[in-house]
Amino acid sequence: MARRPVKVTITYCAECGYERQTLALTEALLLACGHELSGVELIPWVEGSFEVVVGGERVHSMYRDGGFPEPANVVAAVHRIAGGEGLP
Amino acid sequence: MAVTRERFASGLTFEQYKQQMTRNRERFEQNEREVQIKPPDLAAFQALPQPLDVLVLAEDWCGDVIANLPVLGRLAQESGKLNVRVFLRDQNLDLMDQYLKEGKYRSIPAFVFFDRYFNELGRFIERPDDISRLRERKRRELYGQHPEYGSPETPIDQLPEEARAGLMQWMASLREELKPSQDQAVIRDLRAIVERAK
Repeated sequence: MARRPVKVTITYCAECGYERQTLALTEALLLACGHELSGVELIPWVEGSFEVVVGGERVHSMYRDGGFPEPANVVAAVHRIAGGEGLP
Repeated sequence: MAVTRERFASGLTFEQYKQQMTRNRERFEQNEREVQIKPPDLAAFQALPQPLDVLVLAEDWCGDVIANLPVLGRLAQESGKLNVRVFLRDQNLDLMDQYLKEGKYRSIPAFVFFDRYFNELGRFIERPDDISRLRERKRRELYGQHPEYGSPETPIDQLPEEARAGLMQWMASLREELKPSQDQAVIRDLRAIVERAK
């Protein structure tokens, strides 16, 4: 079955200086996921946020999980969700 | 481990802190210029029998640092009674972990006041509690007036772009609107701490 491309949304706190982590994650996704992506949306926000949503599934939340995600984990989430798999 | 005088003395002065800032310095210095200190408040600091040491944990990317550290800086400058030393939080986590908000959050700024014997007099962390409550109340009022924003719990990435832009604009306006009252609340909280030294 063909893989269905997914959208990734990264909401990051622009006041907090999370641009580097956002760009590093975006780069990792673009290099590793290619046509599995239908788009990558970057949302500058405030209040210490760093949220990553893949195909509607929140795979990382700084509020919920603390810290930044490992790019490899987000890449794995894209592979999984684009492949039509559920939660690991 | 308690902070020693030697460790305290190794911190940055307020001016050194400003000089090493890599972002937000313009906003920081604008806030510093705009702080209004009422004569009775200034007098309370000037009346200190001896200067107090004030340990600060800060980072230049934090909005609460940009808003509240300039208030402390002006009080120190105008009273001549506060010996401020600033430590960058992310390079001094051992210090930060001694002054956690609610015992668990590495919130900044943290201002820790010490008396002449280097006993802690009190601490100010992040922002005044009443300002946090006021911000939350205004936020809930806004959501009540704008059903298109969903609820305050709605993740920002689930809002349409137009709603996000409106919300961001409102938050920036709120910050400006609350700035004078926030400055006064910070001065009030810091004054309450230093008055314990008398």
